[in-house]
Amino acid sequence: MKIYITGIGDVSAIGLNAEENFNSLQAGISGIKKSAQHGIMLGEVALSNQEICELFKLPAYDYSRSTLLGLLAAKEAWKENTSIKEIKTGMISATSIGGLDKMEQYHFDSLNTASTTSRNKMVHDNGRSTEKIAETMGISGMIGTISTACSSGANSIMHGARLMKAKKLDRVLVGGIDPLAIFNIKGFGSLNILDPTHCKPFDDNRKGLNLGEGAAFLLLENEHSLSITKNEALCALTGWNNSTDAFHQTASSTTGIGATITMKKALEQANLSTSDIDYINAHGTGTGNNDLSESSAFINVFGDRMPAFSSTKSFTGHTLAAAGAIEAAYCVHSIIAQKRLPNLFYKTAMKETGLVPETEYSSARIRNVLTNSFGFGGNCSSLIFSQL
Amino acid sequence: MYITSSSTISYQPTFKNKGFSARLTALQQNGALMEPDYSENIAPMDRRRMSAGMKMSICCMLDCLAQSMITQPEAIIVGTAMGCSLNTKIFLEKIHSAGDGLIAPTSFISSTHNTIAGQISLLLKNHAYNNTHTHNSLSFEHALIDASLCLNEGCTSALVGAADEFENDLYNMNERLNLPQIVEASGASFFTIQSKINTASAIILKAVDVCVLATDLQETTLNFLESNQINIHSIDLVLFSQSTNHTSEILERIFPHQQKINYQNLSGTYFTNSAFALHFACDMLEQNKAVKSVLILNNLIPENLGLMYIQKEEIVG
Repeated sequence: MKIYITGIGDVSAIGLNAEENFNSLQAGISGIKKSAQHGIMLGEVALSNQEICELFKLPAYDYSRSTLLGLLAAKEAWKENTSIKEIKTGMISATSIGGLDKMEQYHFDSLNTASTTSRNKMVHDNGRSTEKIAETMGISGMIGTISTACSSGANSIMHGARLMKAKKLDRVLVGGIDPLAIFNIKGFGSLNILDPTHCKPFDDNRKGLNLGEGAAFLLLENEHSLSITKNEALCALTGWNNSTDAFHQTASSTTGIGATITMKKALEQANLSTSDIDYINAHGTGTGNNDLSESSAFINVFGDRMPAFSSTKSFTGHTLAAAGAIEAAYCVHSIIAQKRLPNLFYKTAMKETGLVPETEYSSARIRNVLTNSFGFGGNCSSLIFSQL
Repeated sequence: MYITSSSTISYQPTFKNKGFSARLTALQQNGALMEPDYSENIAPMDRRRMSAGMKMSICCMLDCLAQSMITQPEAIIVGTAMGCSLNTKIFLEKIHSAGDGLIAPTSFISSTHNTIAGQISLLLKNHAYNNTHTHNSLSFEHALIDASLCLNEGCTSALVGAADEFENDLYNMNERLNLPQIVEASGASFFTIQSKINTASAIILKAVDVCVLATDLQETTLNFLESNQINIHSIDLVLFSQSTNHTSEILERIFPHQQKINYQNLSGTYFTNSAFALHFACDMLEQNKAVKSVLILNNLIPENLGLMYIQKEEIVG
């Protein structure tokens, strides 16, 4: 059974829809800049909560930014599709922050004054945003939410695909969402891994990551679903795997053992060899630790025949649970447009590995694309997208 | 898929207490978490560092693996609605008091939803599949569905668990549940799921499903029974949770002759208490000869429905 991608929706610092995102990738323009609100380098989405609420005619107060960013991306991927009895349809989303932007607002208010209203004290659990989005799209039934920190988006896509393989679903809207909140800005700040300037993935002088926000969704369909919806298939999802580094709660092993296992098993699952991969969209956060670990894993898997690779986090910032989904959407674009995507702000190869990322938006034969997402807890995931 | 071990730490005497299902009484407002002596399993530094949810989880997980004599499960899957919310609260308070000063990252690192599943992989040095489902009241059912996918894909064993901590500074459970009387609680339950067994009798998890944004509870339940070929008359016991009396009224219509227990009165209210119900059901099947099959219907959030069906199987020959 083949799993086709028939819709993509993408919201990030470099665009409010997929086309704007791809145009920015082509133009080589990063969306990361000094935030007026937070005073540090961030990849912020250029719409306020109020503006998104107006688009969807929602009361501004009740929705977390996760829900709102997710609605934008999900609507674009779902398009005019409708619920059809003959197509078993589900939705799997992913988030690490969920409604914490709302809950932190409540908690800070309650620490500052004694007079907070109970209305603020809603349970903004992760599932709540998924449900609001599903309800808006008219999807019910198999609806779930995954949270594995920075690999969440990839795991949601993988889970949707596995539900289809197991014949539990014919069609599934999958993706990931994360907004910027004080919690994650201060959290990553406390780890001392934020680059005060633009992040420089895979550069020997990299200083850390830039945080970003966004959401992306993909619509996956099997042949049965396609025969009814008549949607156009853009490419196929052919490989996936999740494995664990089991090294440290937040840091990756320098040998990249988890990443090595997951890339190898994803290739095996797609029934592809290393020479079939034409471009890799790396996790590439720009931290000393991640980029070294991931590069070691690349060498473990690909040896001296390393395919073209880049980290598009130099455009969007690290969008945490959205990253795997945003980058999956970029992989779909890479295949459709037959382009390798650039890695900005790179100058010098890492002395440990000497690997050189792609720095230009360039034409190439792209048959299969691999993308990596790694999260806290040593959670490593790889996805492979293939040309039809 | 077979459930070969179960372990729960809760507000009830569930831990290492076979036959507990026959002896529980309704949980009272002044209930408290019944924690075992963690010093047997968790190092002193970790005991100080780990939140309640983490300690419960580690302890139950180790108990489960010991019972089923598995050292390396082929998948580790956890369901948690709110994750390690106590650490989330602590980190927010540190942000608030630090102003522009430095903040220690410890509580941030331990606040992610997948902290529990990640810590388990670290403790076991386990490189296998590792996932965390976090869909409010259905987080545990999603974890079980994931385990069923793993077994279909060829895994022979999976460790599946659920944990949620009582924390009412950050959110108000009742805003979501609308229950007239609520006894908020914490709990963690872990299970070993295996594709094959070598014992004479076993507990088999025949079916698990979720329905989010369900419009018709009766229809969804009947569809679940039909599509999994479960005869209503073969069900001996129905365990359920509800947020309005509507649920028990419908259950009375569908299952007029079966014994029905609202497990929430026993476990207290937390988003993943259907895992408590599954352990309760497993204990019943092991101890009570009159009960051979149990349906667990989780309707904690009115529009969300989780369904699990388990039965005792005597292996002949």
